[in-house]
Amino acid sequence: MKRIFAVALGVLTAIGGFVDIGDLVTNAVVGSRFGLSLAWVVIVGVVGICLFANMSGRVGAVSGRATFEIIRERLGPRVGLANLGASFFINLMTLTAEIGGIALALQLITGVDPALFGPLAAFAVWVIVWRAKFSQLENAVGILGLSLIVFVVAVFLLGPDWGDLARQAVMPTVPASEQPATYWYYAIALFGAAMTPYEVFFFSSGAIEEGWKRKDLGQERLNVFVGFPLGGVLSIAIAASAAIVLLPQAIAVTSLSQVVLPVVQAGGTIAFCFLVVGMLAAFFGAALETTLSSGYTIAQYFGWSWGKFRRPAQAARFHVVMIVGLVLAVGILATGVDPILITEYSVVFSAVALPLTYLPILIVANDPDYMGADVNGRLANALGLVYLVIILVASLAAIPLMIITGAGA
Amino acid sequence: MILSEVIGLRVLDAHGAAVGRVVDARFRLEGGGTPSTARLVGLIISPRSASSFLGYERRSSGGPALVARLLRWMHRGSFLVSWESIAGFYDDRVELRAGYERLDASLDSTEG
Amino acid sequence: MTKSPTVRAGRLIDANLHLLDRQVLDPENMPVATVDDVELDDVLWNTPLPPGTPAPVVTALLSGPVLATRIFGGRPPESRWHRIAWTHVVEIGTAIRIGINANELDVSWVERWLRDHVIRRIPGGSHDPE
Repeated sequence: MKRIFAVALGVLTAIGGFVDIGDLVTNAVVGSRFGLSLAWVVIVGVVGICLFANMSGRVGAVSGRATFEIIRERLGPRVGLANLGASFFINLMTLTAEIGGIALALQLITGVDPALFGPLAAFAVWVIVWRAKFSQLENAVGILGLSLIVFVVAVFLLGPDWGDLARQAVMPTVPASEQPATYWYYAIALFGAAMTPYEVFFFSSGAIEEGWKRKDLGQERLNVFVGFPLGGVLSIAIAASAAIVLLPQAIAVTSLSQVVLPVVQAGGTIAFCFLVVGMLAAFFGAALETTLSSGYTIAQYFGWSWGKFRRPAQAARFHVVMIVGLVLAVGILATGVDPILITEYSVVFSAVALPLTYLPILIVANDPDYMGADVNGRLANALGLVYLVIILVASLAAIPLMIITGAGA
Repeated sequence: MILSEVIGLRVLDAHGAAVGRVVDARFRLEGGGTPSTARLVGLIISPRSASSFLGYERRSSGGPALVARLLRWMHRGSFLVSWESIAGFYDDRVELRAGYERLDASLDSTEG
Repeated sequence: MTKSPTVRAGRLIDANLHLLDRQVLDPENMPVATVDDVELDDVLWNTPLPPGTPAPVVTALLSGPVLATRIFGGRPPESRWHRIAWTHVVEIGTAIRIGINANELDVSWVERWLRDHVIRRIPGGSHDPE
């Protein structure tokens, strides 16, 4: 059991990053329209986030400096502020969606109007951020979030044509009913979802919350290479389940009900229970991750004290910022806007903010002043450069594609 | 004076010709106090851009080779002028004395 | 306490590279502020410098409203500058360490205000996370 907890940070970061409500829905949409022909994007994204989360975790553990401090120090206050603005916006949109998602999941069980659950969910998130130990937070969400493995189980239970699925994944083609532009729009959305900057902000700050030092680099690496691939597996399983059940019947994903349909079909009420537990854990995890990320990024940019390892009285501005964020999220939800729609947009904006986040990480991971002897090896640098190019292309193409395809309509 | 009033200013030589922009200010620590006093010894001027991007142009320390090369190229021609070469500070410019010398801006050989 | 070689005579420091936008930490590793600007001795402005004018020295690291003026231009009145005197600096590395406690500096007043008027009023604010 203890070994599972040792990778809790990685699992939590991945769950909050890969299977939060936005990604859950996006993966189901992708599966229902494109089958597994976009699975390769998830794999590319997983490799990318492993690469950069590992770098940022190493920098945090060895130098004690968290990612957003580095972004401001390397890129300067002006560019840093632009990144901060974009990141805060994305965090806020995602947080709003997660709180909305918690409310929607509770509606699935109780049938009660989600609007009532919003403030309650936000309050619960706040209480955890205020009082719970960081390790308790990670362990609880990590363990409960693993319930989402029910998607993997469902795929097997559905008895699919494995040959067909494999063909879709390995020889991707754009289905006749879709446009190439839409295919690439979703490719960027999936890539942006896998590499969302708040995952790196959270993971590197989490490394410092955990008190990881140079001697803990092995554990840090384990967290990355267990957590994020797990997230990738879950993403693909969600798409596969939608591909098996929704695609042949051309069922469109418009709400959580379609997302859960394949699992219910495969395993009935028991599977549904696991699924709801898993979803609540994932949405909660993502809400915690984005709330803490807003706190981390703003505090690190301005140089304020931060961290759950400090009592709130010693990190006053950090906690005030997070409270404000939660209040704003509830306010936005109260306007009646659809939280799922919000995330579809925020995922694409993530792609735009990627270069401003990952370039400084790559550079500092090579700086001996920060890393001593633990600077990047040649493989990490070579991959890092390749990914910088991919990130740049994705970030430039994101908004034009969003406009051309009408956000994937 | 505060540094942000100087960094970014245009730099003109004694004949009024534009030479570049101030991208940084170099200090030498001197004396036995804790900390030693930091005295301004010169300004780093870049003929190209106003931003000192990532400091690469002055240090040979590693980094992904392509990125380092790109940044060094972007900042080619950066040089140091000594305090004694500065003729005056004005609201919109820094003026240099006639016969100022362009010194090597790199830090490697003298990094503490 | 032995003097760190990073603040010993002979070392060269570039303000933008080594000082600006660096985190400042107090002896207990508490973040104090980020260096938003650097204050030097007064120097003749808008007049030619007489040859032999001594070079100015760093008097303080600045934080606070100077960030806005650094990004957008201008200069806030001196009463708004939150100074960390240069003499407090103990080490200059990937972060800048000072020798006095965060609580004793002007620069932390917003933190202290929020702590006393908001955080302490919420139950559990002064306790370690359980």
